[in-house]
Amino acid sequence: MLLFATAASAILCAGTVWSSSAAALGESSRVEIRGVAIDGLDEPRETARRRLAWEVRKRTSIETRLRPRRARLDDPTLFETPMLYLAGDEAFEPLSEAEVVGLRRFLELGGFLLVDDATGGSSSGFDGSVRRLLQRALPRDPLRPVPSDHTVYRSFYLLDRPVGRVRGPGSLEAIARGDRLAVVLSRHDLGGAWARDDLGTFTHPVVPGGDGQRERAMRLGVNLVMYALCLDYKDDQVHAPYLMRRRGGRP
Amino acid sequence: MQALSFAVPGGLATVVVLALAFTAIVAWGIRETRSLPAPRRRALRALRVVTALLAFACAVQPRFVHETIQEIEGRLVVLLDGSRSMTIRRGGESRWEEAMAALEGWRGDADAAELVRFGSATTPIGWDQLGDQEPRDDESRLRAALEELASQDDLGAVLIVGDGTGPSDEGDPELDGLKVHALPVGGERAMRDDAIAELQADPVAFLRGEARVRVVVRSLGEGGTIPVSLVREGSVVKEAMVDVAEDGEAEVTFSFTPRRLGRAIYHVRIPRAEDDAVPENNERSFLVRVTRDRLRVLLVAGHPTWDVRFLRSFLEADPSIDLISFFILRTTSDLTMASPDELALIPFPTDELFREHLGSFDVLLFQDFDFGPYQMASYLPRIRDYVRRGGSFAMVGGERSFGPGGYAGTPIAEILPVTLPPVGTPSERQLALGAFQPVVEPELANHPLVALSPDPSASAAHWARLAPLEGANRVEGAKEGTQILLSHPRVRDLSGAPLPVLTVGESGEGRVLALGVDSSWRWGMTSAGASGDASGHERFWDRTLRWLARDPALDPARITTDRERYGPGGRIEVGGWLRNDAYQPVEGELRVEVESATGEVVGRVPVEVGRGGAIEATARAPLEPGAHRVVARREGDDEPLATEPFVVEAGGDELAEPRPDPERLSRWAEESGGQVFASGDRLPPLESLDATRRRSTGTVEVRPFSGWVALVLTLGLIALELFARRRWGLR
Repeated sequence: MLLFATAASAILCAGTVWSSSAAALGESSRVEIRGVAIDGLDEPRETARRRLAWEVRKRTSIETRLRPRRARLDDPTLFETPMLYLAGDEAFEPLSEAEVVGLRRFLELGGFLLVDDATGGSSSGFDGSVRRLLQRALPRDPLRPVPSDHTVYRSFYLLDRPVGRVRGPGSLEAIARGDRLAVVLSRHDLGGAWARDDLGTFTHPVVPGGDGQRERAMRLGVNLVMYALCLDYKDDQVHAPYLMRRRGGRP
Repeated sequence: MQALSFAVPGGLATVVVLALAFTAIVAWGIRETRSLPAPRRRALRALRVVTALLAFACAVQPRFVHETIQEIEGRLVVLLDGSRSMTIRRGGESRWEEAMAALEGWRGDADAAELVRFGSATTPIGWDQLGDQEPRDDESRLRAALEELASQDDLGAVLIVGDGTGPSDEGDPELDGLKVHALPVGGERAMRDDAIAELQADPVAFLRGEARVRVVVRSLGEGGTIPVSLVREGSVVKEAMVDVAEDGEAEVTFSFTPRRLGRAIYHVRIPRAEDDAVPENNERSFLVRVTRDRLRVLLVAGHPTWDVRFLRSFLEADPSIDLISFFILRTTSDLTMASPDELALIPFPTDELFREHLGSFDVLLFQDFDFGPYQMASYLPRIRDYVRRGGSFAMVGGERSFGPGGYAGTPIAEILPVTLPPVGTPSERQLALGAFQPVVEPELANHPLVALSPDPSASAAHWARLAPLEGANRVEGAKEGTQILLSHPRVRDLSGAPLPVLTVGESGEGRVLALGVDSSWRWGMTSAGASGDASGHERFWDRTLRWLARDPALDPARITTDRERYGPGGRIEVGGWLRNDAYQPVEGELRVEVESATGEVVGRVPVEVGRGGAIEATARAPLEPGAHRVVARREGDDEPLATEPFVVEAGGDELAEPRPDPERLSRWAEESGGQVFASGDRLPPLESLDATRRRSTGTVEVRPFSGWVALVLTLGLIALELFARRRWGLR
């Protein structure tokens, strides 16, 4: 396999490649960033998921559903698409046991949940509610910081740290199940950086970094979707030496 | 014969404690009566002793057990050793000839005893067939033969005529009262012989990996330094010198590295000395099946999808799979908004994958992958040739697969099991949208890719519980000679037949598969959400990968042998299953043949197919040492249904220990009350041999102090002693 990796690193002739365009085999073929619906909790950045889906389709080979739906955690259709996005800016009431069980099964069966704290703060009511929910769903699996060399920071773009509408903490938090991150928790208000109104205007200013920070927030969103689909693909032997060389030896 | 035991908890320890306690009570009673007049003192002391003894007996409950024996005057069987160790000679005469000479003398007594031959199994033979017999059995299963005979109730005694050899781990038989007489042949144990006493080899080795064979060399006689060689195809692979003590053993382990896939025969040899009693055991052979250590799979995906994600996760999690995956993460039509240095992307290493290393993969998977944008047209002929030479290829559906992937008219279309729509067919005609539950073709329901359970009704129920699939690739139809395992319940292919969803076939020496959907992942997560069972996806892909890689366990026809090494003429137990390509039992008259290394058929037995295609047969190994095979064929058809190789060794296990074991026979005879004869002696007539079987019919247990009489008597004596004590002034 070393031979593979070495040769792969040497080939730099990507050339002009165009994907064929055809109708999908069905909506289930398209990647949906499905929102989690919780009673009493409004989605603070309504257009964020649509925007992220559009950006992912524009920037990568992933076919996304441009009008993603929402579902409750006790909805039987929860298992129709393996990626969920839960955003909020306020505390919410404890969920029913059926919802907790639904989330647990979703994650155990291979689902991926991205939690986005829209307050961008360190100890919001939403943050507390989410942590209590995760504690109930996966009591043995704690949230831990995601190290800066994790695949999630190089699943598509090379990133140094997470940023969203706010600069926020220097790392994401995540719950790992085996080698896979099943839950990623961001306290950077990613959706705040992604959201645009119907006229295409960004709805929230990004602080303190301006448009550069907004772009990095968008890249992190793309990376997270790519990670949900490819997991540790970038850790494959084919890729690791090549990426290390591009990063100047950094892991 | 009686045995004494005690029915008291704690056993002998409790008995000892109680004995000490009752002794103390007696001593105390004797001491108390010192002041009484002599007659009263003697009376009370006697009473105390008797009472204590009786109470002790009641407490410890002695138990006497004796065996009851039934004596039966039964039949006599002469048990003749027919194994190859009987061919060993001493002083010009073989053990077999020695035995024959003795049996000839008993021919006149034929009515007094039946004759049974043993080796790998027992076979009754007539006295008049004695001259036709030859010692060719590859095993000496004497213990099993005796136990089989002992199960015959009317058999009284057995006269063993043989050398007493047997497997080293063979214990003593359960004779159940059967009397054993013995006529050992072969003389004393002392002999001069160098031998490979044991050989343990890895039956499976990995290509270019280290394999081992452990060899034990024995030297009967003077001992010394003996060279040991490992040989393959006439060339010495390894050699070692071992120092063996007089009548001793020494061990050597060879490591070797197979460099070719498939079956390989190796030999281990030591030199043959002029005075070597058994030169056949100076060489042993073994077969090694050389495989790859792990299944090498190349997965190429046209873009990340849930189907790609779950298939890759399955492949990654399987430790028996060495996975190389490559996903197209972006095309130049995608606007990444970043410079190449900001992207974690590498170019598609097409040349490396499809030119340099293609042949090293066992399975190649194209998952929703279109080759056109990646200048891959020049590699497609290589992929076709790779498959036709024995590789495996699967195309998994999606909007970039099959016709929409541009494969029509390419070398890939030549090997696919389905015919693609012609170039120019509108895309919408090449896709069938909507959810559907695939239909398992009834006549192929036993195929391992779709048989989710051995029970057809359970398998059908399992399929009904799986989540529906979403959309399918439309093709022109399945090619002739392929198998449609799953089809669409409503949509027709472009030829008007039900749309094939899962089609398998062969192209040249390789296997090919077309799965026209990109939603098989729903058999895992989505099914589990509805029914709780997530195994459908994993099970399907596990079977699919194994089928593509020609896992023998999934072959429709397969035969097995009970061992890989036999002696000349050894008994081969053949098993396995014979099913047709639809995994239904093969019909018609079938036979199992033994083919020698030169292709000559040296044995043939008819077989009948049982439930699920299972077969059982017994055959004989060729007499010539070397690599041979067992072949299953349909009558009138030369094409093999299945084959299995084996090795014939000149010596083998049977001659690895050539020394006779008269002590073993003598011990069994002595323990069973039988007689031991020497072959040179004047032998008594068979009818004079004691054929009385002493058989245990059970045991009788007596507990004399377990009844109420002993208890009442004890209590009465205690009361009497108390009365007398009070009467005579003691407390």
